[in-house]
Amino acid sequence: MEHTSYLFAAFLAVWVIVFAYLFALSRRHRTLANEVEALRRMMEQKGESH
Amino acid sequence: MLALLWKDLLLEFRTKERLSSLFVLSFLIVLVFVFALSPEQIQSPTIEAALLWVTLVFAGMMGLQRSFLLEQERACFSGLLLSPIDPGTLFLAKMLSNVLFLLLVELLVAPLSLAFFGVPFSRSLLPLPVVLLLGTVGFSALGTLFAAIAVRTRAREVLLPIMLLPLLVPLLIAAVKVTSAVLTGGEWNGVWFRVLLAFDIIFVVTGWLIFPQVVQE
Amino acid sequence: MKRFAPFADNVLPWLTLTTMIAALAMVFLYVPNERVQGIVQRIFYFHLPAAWNTFLGFFIVAGASASYLWQGSRFSDLLAQAAAEIGMVFCTIVLITGSIWARPIWGVWWTWDPRLTMVIVLWTIYAAYLLLRHLAGDTEQIARYAAVLGIVGVLDIPLLHISVRLWRGIHPKIERGGLAPEMMWTLLMCTVAFLCLFAWLLWLRLHNLSLREELVTLRRQALATA
Repeated sequence: MEHTSYLFAAFLAVWVIVFAYLFALSRRHRTLANEVEALRRMMEQKGESH
Repeated sequence: MLALLWKDLLLEFRTKERLSSLFVLSFLIVLVFVFALSPEQIQSPTIEAALLWVTLVFAGMMGLQRSFLLEQERACFSGLLLSPIDPGTLFLAKMLSNVLFLLLVELLVAPLSLAFFGVPFSRSLLPLPVVLLLGTVGFSALGTLFAAIAVRTRAREVLLPIMLLPLLVPLLIAAVKVTSAVLTGGEWNGVWFRVLLAFDIIFVVTGWLIFPQVVQE
Repeated sequence: MKRFAPFADNVLPWLTLTTMIAALAMVFLYVPNERVQGIVQRIFYFHLPAAWNTFLGFFIVAGASASYLWQGSRFSDLLAQAAAEIGMVFCTIVLITGSIWARPIWGVWWTWDPRLTMVIVLWTIYAAYLLLRHLAGDTEQIARYAAVLGIVGVLDIPLLHISVRLWRGIHPKIERGGLAPEMMWTLLMCTVAFLCLFAWLLWLRLHNLSLREELVTLRRQALATA
């Protein structure tokens, strides 16, 4: 029985799902990290100006 | 606890509109089924059992929402919590009042819908209320718990079904199986009956234990 | 959690990568074809570990939820949230691979056999948990409600299992007793690889969530000193 295309589809599905999630995570991470950095810098500047 | 139960019952029965609106709602859902299918298709007792429980679940959910909404609006709950009543007992009282309330509606709707579909039920006169009771207890246990949660959130109307329905699957399957056995005159206190019982016991106890976490401010 | 950071950040991704490559190699190069189902059967080596990860996710959610309710540690709440998401990812994988596998073997895209049925209900429980957290906001109260859902969900599992089993026939057994040694090893490798993947994804999401916490704290501080 040769259903290789199904095999391929299944493995592809797994990787697509995992990578989609990883991608979503990394994007959220970058936004968060940037905001945190920006806030930290702002706080430092405030600290210096006092 | 009896006092609490009495108070809840009084509240619900004073608003007779709730009873009647729930009854009409269930009745309408049954009608929807009749029109979606045809009377001939529904004549089988197994299908009728299924339709009955679907109706009860959906109508019941709306009934539950209203019950907590009223209390929330009148801020009765905060009043109750300040009193030295143990939240677990509060849960049991609320649950029992829901059971009685829903059961009353069910005892009206069930025979009516069975009559509509031409499913003979004279021999089920004793076991049918028993099944209805057990199913309603399980439904109310989880329903009361999650209605209390849902009513305190923003997306309350849609969240209650979303949270409740998946968890009710075992109850639904078991209740339908037992009801259909009752209606076809088969053995109804077999394994599915035990599943129903197990569901009830597990979730009444769970609700009782975990409800304090929900109402804790 | 900070203690784990160096290990998690550096080791986990590579560990996952290497175990995955090894697993893929075993699935495609090492293990022989299964007699009855042929080459498609190899989906099983990803389908089953994904299912185990789904259950693992569930139990972590339940444990973290219980810990949160009893001890109130913020970390437990974050752990529950992260585990629910990761569990959901693997649950989706189980369903999709199961469906793709079913098509050539049984001729239909879906069957209501007990295990698949159970997984689909689990998916809805996961969905309910995630929707509660997303729709209802991010307060401590909601965290507690989610924890309640997590615990009740896990308590429902045995009942689900029994009722779904009784309701339907049997999951077509993949010669469980008669698994050839090569298959056992491949399955084992895949399970390990998937566990690493689970751990890594969980870590990433946890890191993410704790960053968000930090952001909230920083914002509050900024407002306070403004």
